[in-house]
Amino acid sequence: MAANYWDSTQARYWTFTKEELKEMELQLFQANRNLITKYPLPEQRLLNIFLQGQLLKLGRRMNLRQQALATAQVYVRRFYTKVEIRKTNPYLLMTTAVYLACKMEESPVHIRLMLAEAARQWPELGINDSSKIGECEFALISTLQARLVLHHPYRTLTDLAPTFSMSTEEISLAHSIINDHYNTDLPLMHPPHIIAVTAIFLAIVLRPNQTGLQQHSAGAASAERIQANMNQALSIISGTMGKQHHAKLGRLVEWLTESDINMEAVISSTQELISLYEVWEGYSERPCKEAISRFMKDGLGK
Amino acid sequence: MSMSGYTTQRHINDHYDVVGFISSGTYGRVYKAKSKPGRPVQQGPTGKPIEAFAIKKFKPDKEGELQYTGISQSAIREMALCTELSHPNLITLVEIILESKCIFMVFEYAEHDLLQIIHWHTTHPRTPIPATMLRSIMHQLLSGLLYLHRNWVLHRDLKPANIMITSSGCIKIGDLGLARLFHAPLAALFSGDKVVVTIWYRAPELLLGSRHYTPAIDLWAVGCIMGELVSQRPMFKGEEAKMEGKKLVPFQRGQMGRICEVLGIPKRDEWPLLSAMPEFGQLQGLAGSVPGASRPVGLEKWWDGVCRTSGYASANATAATAPPNREGLDLLRRLLTFDPLQRITAEQAQGHPYFSAASASAVPSSASASTPTSTSAVPAAGNGTHAAAEFANCFLNVPHTYPPRKVSAEDNDIRVLSATNSMPNTGAGIKRSALPDESLARGGALKRVKEG
Repeated sequence: MAANYWDSTQARYWTFTKEELKEMELQLFQANRNLITKYPLPEQRLLNIFLQGQLLKLGRRMNLRQQALATAQVYVRRFYTKVEIRKTNPYLLMTTAVYLACKMEESPVHIRLMLAEAARQWPELGINDSSKIGECEFALISTLQARLVLHHPYRTLTDLAPTFSMSTEEISLAHSIINDHYNTDLPLMHPPHIIAVTAIFLAIVLRPNQTGLQQHSAGAASAERIQANMNQALSIISGTMGKQHHAKLGRLVEWLTESDINMEAVISSTQELISLYEVWEGYSERPCKEAISRFMKDGLGK
Repeated sequence: MSMSGYTTQRHINDHYDVVGFISSGTYGRVYKAKSKPGRPVQQGPTGKPIEAFAIKKFKPDKEGELQYTGISQSAIREMALCTELSHPNLITLVEIILESKCIFMVFEYAEHDLLQIIHWHTTHPRTPIPATMLRSIMHQLLSGLLYLHRNWVLHRDLKPANIMITSSGCIKIGDLGLARLFHAPLAALFSGDKVVVTIWYRAPELLLGSRHYTPAIDLWAVGCIMGELVSQRPMFKGEEAKMEGKKLVPFQRGQMGRICEVLGIPKRDEWPLLSAMPEFGQLQGLAGSVPGASRPVGLEKWWDGVCRTSGYASANATAATAPPNREGLDLLRRLLTFDPLQRITAEQAQGHPYFSAASASAVPSSASASTPTSTSAVPAAGNGTHAAAEFANCFLNVPHTYPPRKVSAEDNDIRVLSATNSMPNTGAGIKRSALPDESLARGGALKRVKEG
């Protein structure tokens, strides 16, 4: 576990290839064809952005730690690889995931307080009995097969930051990028250190101190600009540009080539994140909220 | 929630036949069970079929109320950590079944535990725990603990009752209900659970109110357990001072007093950070209120004394009665070091000469009388798989036959709610209110993110 990611349940049971994820999605689709056709939803990543935003709002209200929220979000992501979202009350699932994550991250919240705060945050929750959260907790743990210990990339970021003499702004940008990656399939695909290295790489490439980016989440970065910087960075990796171009970046690239880190995974994660930011450009909360409300209104959970 | 996660739900009564009741605690009850005939045979981590199971049933938090009240943090910890961890010296989790508002954790059954073994020896006067057995128990216990600590898990409740032994002599650390990850905790460890570790096994830094404690607390408990195995009674059997109200954790004068009667009152030169302990001031009063504290017995004298009273032979020893070798005393001294920073770690303890000494006992079976220095100089034996294999069965060459665990057949009804075996639908009955005002929901973090 914490010392050995490779022995963890996350590595052994909750890490998939792209093909495996597609297959799982297909299975859900086939089992719920009518439902899915009847209630169209925005694309997965937009929905993830919406759910994360909702979790963040609840987190701010309750003054929760980022790591507990990240844990809750991964629980939600894992759950929806097994259960069709349209059969659920996503607000109840999020409430329950936060409730469980807080216990796992050793900052427990009483179930009644959890209910009260969630109900205040989300009128959509539609629940006034805390036993519903307790019941949902059973379903969540059962679906996750009690594999609740998670490895997040934040620690690797903290460990590696001094190696690359990252500035505070760069660290905070990398932190935001890690937050953002939970909206992609990456947390279900790669070990946390791959994500951390990708975030460090992107943060250094994006050079926050030059762009004033640190005031915003990484999600705020313009996709085109990221793309431009990325092309530059990728050309450094592929050797078509001199390393002296950017000393810090050069050191990072050198470190990457010397380490036995899976570069393919880092590159594909990088592309996944750039693609996320492109999708993010078109994000709006309303369609997500309304689409969820439609299937919830019809009480499909019954 | 959708119940699709429950379509393959296993039911406890479909797979297990309960043999009887083993014990109960605040969490719920433990039952002994066997596989139902005709059901596929469960295999343990070694690939051997599991013949018997111990099923720990967590009751819902509130007695008598048949509704979901949220799972206790202790049960969550135990479920998550047992699912994550796997080691020969850790209790083996077979599966978890969530059914009818109850949690059933199915473990591999262990026939004995240390408390029961110690009890057997105290009721058979003049039969000490054989030195070879003591050494094997200690080695396996430390292996399991080292594994936990390497995985950033503090056990926090080590005591004889929580240390199981299988009929083939394999030690299994059990009850991870108080265990937790200590890597980069989100809050000071102290803030979570104000009181940890059963009082007799509680480390001095906890007794002195330390806010940030370390794996060293588990090593202190291991020391207390070792002392108990040798002396057959709790080494520091203090009276627990009760909590006054919910906030105040009282100074455990009685417990600290028992420790000081043997080891003396801790001094700053042996524990540099001692004066930084919140209850440091209380130590001064201890000399007056606990007479023995100013004239401590000392560990060596204590050791020799308990070796006599436990029935270890001083002459003409057989394999069953030879006293533990003197390196054992040294290991105990290092485990019961006051300063948590100087206390031996699980890794160091495993490499201690006690385990590499040629003989487990001070009177080796061969004629040559041993001096501790010559035996401890035997190289390599204490390391690696060789040692692990040597210590793998604590009953090896032990002439005693320990009685099996008591199982009461009177209570074998593990079922809770026979009527509702299926999970009700969590999504049911949720009436949606009208769509919320869209404008209220806008302008949040994501909106800002998007605009940025």
